[in-house]
Amino acid sequence: MRHVPEDELHAYLDQALSRSQCVEIETHLAGCARCRDRRDDTAAIRDRTTALLNRMTPRALIIPPPFDSLADRHPMVTRAQIWARRGRRAGLLAAGLLTAVAAGWGGRSLLDSRELGPAPLSNLASLSLAAPAPADPVADFHPESSPIPIQEKTPRLRVTVPAAEPRRVENILPAPVNMQLASMSLSGGTTVANTAVPATRLEAGSPFDRIWRSVQWEEALQIAGSGLPFIEGLPVIGVLVHAGTYGERPMVIVAQQDPGGDIIQSIEGPVGKVLEVLQRQAASDIHMSEPARTAPDYVDGPAGIRRANRMMLVTGRLSVDSLNALARVATIR
Amino acid sequence: MDDLEKLYTTHYAAVVRFLYRKIWDADRAEDLAQEVFIRAMAHRPEKPRAWIFAVAANLARDEARAAIRRRKHLTLLKDDPVPLSTPDPSVEETVERDERWAQVSGALAALSERDREVLLLWDAGLSYPEIAAQSGLAVGAVGTTLARARKRLIEAHDKTEYVADAARS
Repeated sequence: MRHVPEDELHAYLDQALSRSQCVEIETHLAGCARCRDRRDDTAAIRDRTTALLNRMTPRALIIPPPFDSLADRHPMVTRAQIWARRGRRAGLLAAGLLTAVAAGWGGRSLLDSRELGPAPLSNLASLSLAAPAPADPVADFHPESSPIPIQEKTPRLRVTVPAAEPRRVENILPAPVNMQLASMSLSGGTTVANTAVPATRLEAGSPFDRIWRSVQWEEALQIAGSGLPFIEGLPVIGVLVHAGTYGERPMVIVAQQDPGGDIIQSIEGPVGKVLEVLQRQAASDIHMSEPARTAPDYVDGPAGIRRANRMMLVTGRLSVDSLNALARVATIR
Repeated sequence: MDDLEKLYTTHYAAVVRFLYRKIWDADRAEDLAQEVFIRAMAHRPEKPRAWIFAVAANLARDEARAAIRRRKHLTLLKDDPVPLSTPDPSVEETVERDERWAQVSGALAALSERDREVLLLWDAGLSYPEIAAQSGLAVGAVGTTLARARKRLIEAHDKTEYVADAARS
């Protein structure tokens, strides 16, 4: 029997052959040491290629932004909408034809009525049915005759904020402050302790009083959507949320307790804000993990839509290596 | 969750990686990946997985043309893996990581356009028939092309690694 060609070995390892081809190759491999060696070499080349390509990844963590946000950012027409519009256009055309026919018929009936008496009631009904349809704002839009429109400035859901100067963060690291939290249970063994957490105090009158909010887990999930970072298996002892502006997703800090009693904070938010918080983490024994980029925001500010990068990292009193290990297993809910 | 949303969840990262390896700009790769799925929402393709990679390849090509028009020559050594300044890993680690990155990107650039395309599509998880449909190859030729591309990638990588080692010693 012929030896297995190299391209077939690649296809075999890629599981791109039919069952009968696989059986044929496996039968041959069972009796041919040379082809077995070549198969092993091919497998090594294949694995090495995968490993090399894996180095070419743009970020350690690639998280898709919420699916719905795509539609918000670029209000496209879906296939269903296209058909709905075609239907509306066909309806308008039919209505126009009906108008013409009815007008002709009605006019003739009116003319006839002068001679023969009142027009039949059904003619009046058809006249009223043929009344002009209300203007359709999208009737003139022909999605298939033009490229997909990417609008620079598109309507989107906005977080309404009072028009004020950007707030400056002053002298304080937001952190869980003696929070008494109700018991909550999370999936995967993560629990929320009913614990008072000693942490950095918020100063009275700090701007954070109004900006940072301590929320329950369920509420945090609702507010932060897919951007809620936490480490599976550790009890959650507090969640702080900082509202975003101009359509930014909120910044979130999830405080959890490791088995040794240390507080670990998973922080996810716009790069600038996260760095600002970190700068205020003055204590020298607080370390941080290597940051990972998360899905960016598309901020609709006064200067138009722009990208705002976000990141996630883990801070705590553990060693950097430990925090890096925790960051690698952190989940963005 | 509809099929497209499911596809978005499972394939978004693969599309970003696929684009990144063509345009070498992490942010732009994410932008274009989202653009791909937005178009998919409008078109609702019958074979969405093959379709999104076909559109991604076209967008990457357009991006490269636009870059040439702007006289911003794409350089495979452009650095944007994780452009964050804090906290810095050790200098040694950074240098080593950048060097490894440059070696692989250089090896990838040494492949012919077709070989690179087929290799990246395979790495993105496309099947042989899907790769064939997109690259214009016969299904039977995909294995041959992949075998050649893999070999050349490793040879080119080993060569640059050898040169780098020789330069150090």
